[in-house]
Amino acid sequence: MTNETLARPALLAFLLFIVAIASWEFYLRSDGVNNAYDDNPALWAHSRGQVYLPKDKSTVFVGSSRIKFDLDTKTWIDLTGDIPVQLACVGSSPLPVLYDLAKDPNFKGKLVLDVTEGLFFSTNDGNRQRPNEGLKHYHDLTPAQRASFMINKPLEASLVFLDKDNYSLNALLDKLELKSRPGVFMFPIFPRDFDRTYFDRQSSMRPAFVADTVQQNTQKGIWKLFASGPPRPPLSGAPLDSLIQTVKTAIDQIKSRGGEIVFVRTPSSDFYWAGEQKKFPREQYWGKLLADTGCQGIHFMDYPETDHYICPEASHLSPRDGIDYTRHLARTLQNKMMWKFPKSF
Amino acid sequence: MVFNSYTFVVFFIIIMILHNLPFSWKVKKINLLLASYVFYAAWNPPFILLLWLSTVVDFYVGRALFTQQNVTKKRLLLVISLMGNIGMLCFFKYGGFILENFVELVNLFGVDYHPAKPNIILPAGISFYTFTTLCYTIDMYYKKSEPVKSMLDFSLFVTFFPHLVAGPIVRPPQLVPQFETEHKATMKNIMDGLLLLTFGLFIKVVLADGFLAPTANEVFGATSALLAVDTWMGVLAFSGQIFFDFAGYSTCAIGVAMCLGFALPQNFRFPYAAIGFTDFWRRWHITLSAWLRDYLYIPLGGNRKGTGRTYVNLMITMLLGGLWHGANWTFVVWGGLHGFYLWVEKFFRDTFSRRGTQPEAVPMTVSDKTPSLGFLYALLTFFLVNVTWVFFRAGTFDQAWTMLGSMFGILKGGAPMLTTISIIKVWSIATIMVVTHWWMRNTSLLQLVYKVPFWLVSIGWAAMLVALAFSQESSSSFIYFQF
Repeated sequence: MTNETLARPALLAFLLFIVAIASWEFYLRSDGVNNAYDDNPALWAHSRGQVYLPKDKSTVFVGSSRIKFDLDTKTWIDLTGDIPVQLACVGSSPLPVLYDLAKDPNFKGKLVLDVTEGLFFSTNDGNRQRPNEGLKHYHDLTPAQRASFMINKPLEASLVFLDKDNYSLNALLDKLELKSRPGVFMFPIFPRDFDRTYFDRQSSMRPAFVADTVQQNTQKGIWKLFASGPPRPPLSGAPLDSLIQTVKTAIDQIKSRGGEIVFVRTPSSDFYWAGEQKKFPREQYWGKLLADTGCQGIHFMDYPETDHYICPEASHLSPRDGIDYTRHLARTLQNKMMWKFPKSF
Repeated sequence: MVFNSYTFVVFFIIIMILHNLPFSWKVKKINLLLASYVFYAAWNPPFILLLWLSTVVDFYVGRALFTQQNVTKKRLLLVISLMGNIGMLCFFKYGGFILENFVELVNLFGVDYHPAKPNIILPAGISFYTFTTLCYTIDMYYKKSEPVKSMLDFSLFVTFFPHLVAGPIVRPPQLVPQFETEHKATMKNIMDGLLLLTFGLFIKVVLADGFLAPTANEVFGATSALLAVDTWMGVLAFSGQIFFDFAGYSTCAIGVAMCLGFALPQNFRFPYAAIGFTDFWRRWHITLSAWLRDYLYIPLGGNRKGTGRTYVNLMITMLLGGLWHGANWTFVVWGGLHGFYLWVEKFFRDTFSRRGTQPEAVPMTVSDKTPSLGFLYALLTFFLVNVTWVFFRAGTFDQAWTMLGSMFGILKGGAPMLTTISIIKVWSIATIMVVTHWWMRNTSLLQLVYKVPFWLVSIGWAAMLVALAFSQESSSSFIYFQF
């Protein structure tokens, strides 16, 4: 190359880069992909920082993936005037987050604790990885990371290809679905339209998923795959008592500061609900949890308004049913649990 | 702040604009110094005080060391500087480790002592900037160079943000004259610097973080034996990860400095093409090994006090070099293993030169006539280096022995762990890495790009940018930040 500088290659490289990214972005948009946020530790940490909003103006939600799908944040805000702070983590036990809030002397707010029995009553370290990563990120947050997060926000809002779970290099390579080696578990690829996460960490199925039984059946197959491993007896006896005791201790700490806590059992249906009823009989788990902690709970099967939902993939509500469920949840919290919200309804 | 973050992109654009405005040279230097403090404070603001303390003390101590005629007072000043810098390093980096070992020792003698574990935060870059300031004070003691005239230039020498947190470890004559003399980055500097910055980010973000770290973490996180192939893939993954991560940082640092018109020394020279360990340490973390040679090995006597003493000095240097990397005995063993390899090499070298054997027959050199033999020796060196990385990466000796046992088939009943795609990624990258290192062992990236057609450079550069955008890795810190 006879150029004296790399200016010409730099300019051409930049143009090629812009063309490549723009083409990919255009292709994805024409394929119906919309904006979503990576549900990463940075986004979680941002939500975690919102828990100090006044108690009468916000509610913190902690749990697993169901409350992320089933709580429609727009409906909640429109109805109650209250800000929902979503700290639930998919595929995870809510307990690390509960313990963290209990240890935080500045948290005195309203807390909705979502119970998915298989995760709530799990002591598997793998089920605590996501919340622990989020907690570590939050507590070790540097000024530079805060600034990066704020710069990233408009980028993720504008560019659909910025979706690590579906369109990063590794995600694209995983979609090749090369045959696994015998004895090696390959994490299944979730249908593209199953989970889109918004900035407030609400998750939602896209309309394409709700309309597509192929994607729904794929997702059902994934849930069945997760359940098909070597049978692991659910926690019971002394270990169960011990876990519930730690939950009670954390709850009592929050209550002693003026906080309010309600457990919710969000809907599941079909084989999933049947399996959960069999493995975690209501009286021995949900009932015992409420009794031992002295907290109230809202179980979806206790109300005619919520006992009939059919979850598209047996475990999470569709967006339309999520709106309905959110209205009922808010009304029950106000009318039965006597929670105060900025707006009465 | 890390190079692989949006914050740094904005920061760098602002610095480039400020540095190219028509300010006086002094104002530009002040801007760079303030920017460097912002860069550091963006990590953890209170630790700026430590940086200031180190800078101020060593500036005045260094000047006094140069002018002091009284030998006793001169030695006292040097001791003050050494104690200050090494003391700070020992407290923050080794405080917990020293206490832990002290407790184990006294417990061995039956003393029941169990103090609370101290919660000491390690300031980012402390190992690097203390070594940088020690360079200066020791050079002043030996009058190797002139004292830096202005506090501004000295502060910039210590704090210049591209090299502040993870090197290259610079010597005063390498950087101070560049601050003393006004100059501007040429278009060539800026373009070369941007290419190096892109390349450094690519190998760090895409290769190290995106493709190799997950496999390395998975394998080194295993709690029981694995199949040999899985363990080797994990070790190869880490071998690639640590190189791409650290060389990526150094390349970014050199690129960023170049864009501002400053030259930092090279820190890596295709180390996995090294033939033997003497060659390896001239290619891996070059500025650290040069520092250890000049400020530890040579003051200990080097090779000037007889063969036996040379072996001892070599091992002490490597053991302390290992300990520099982290407060854990596994790092010491890593260093010791390198020391042992250097011993073996030295023994063969000494034996062959006593017999008057031709240089070509000595396996640590390669001539144009024996490149294939050289490549085989380089592969052997790479193999031995991979064994040492097990100790470097494993958190405990139990983990290290389990890894080694699995690698060499000593531990039976290992289970497979890695998916097919993980193995393909690691094997492909490791193979390309080794071949590229061998091909490039006597040249550099910048020398290469000026020899190839510009459109090919453009395609490669664009591909790296696209890969960076697609990798979407979060801004994870560099491995060497923990040192």
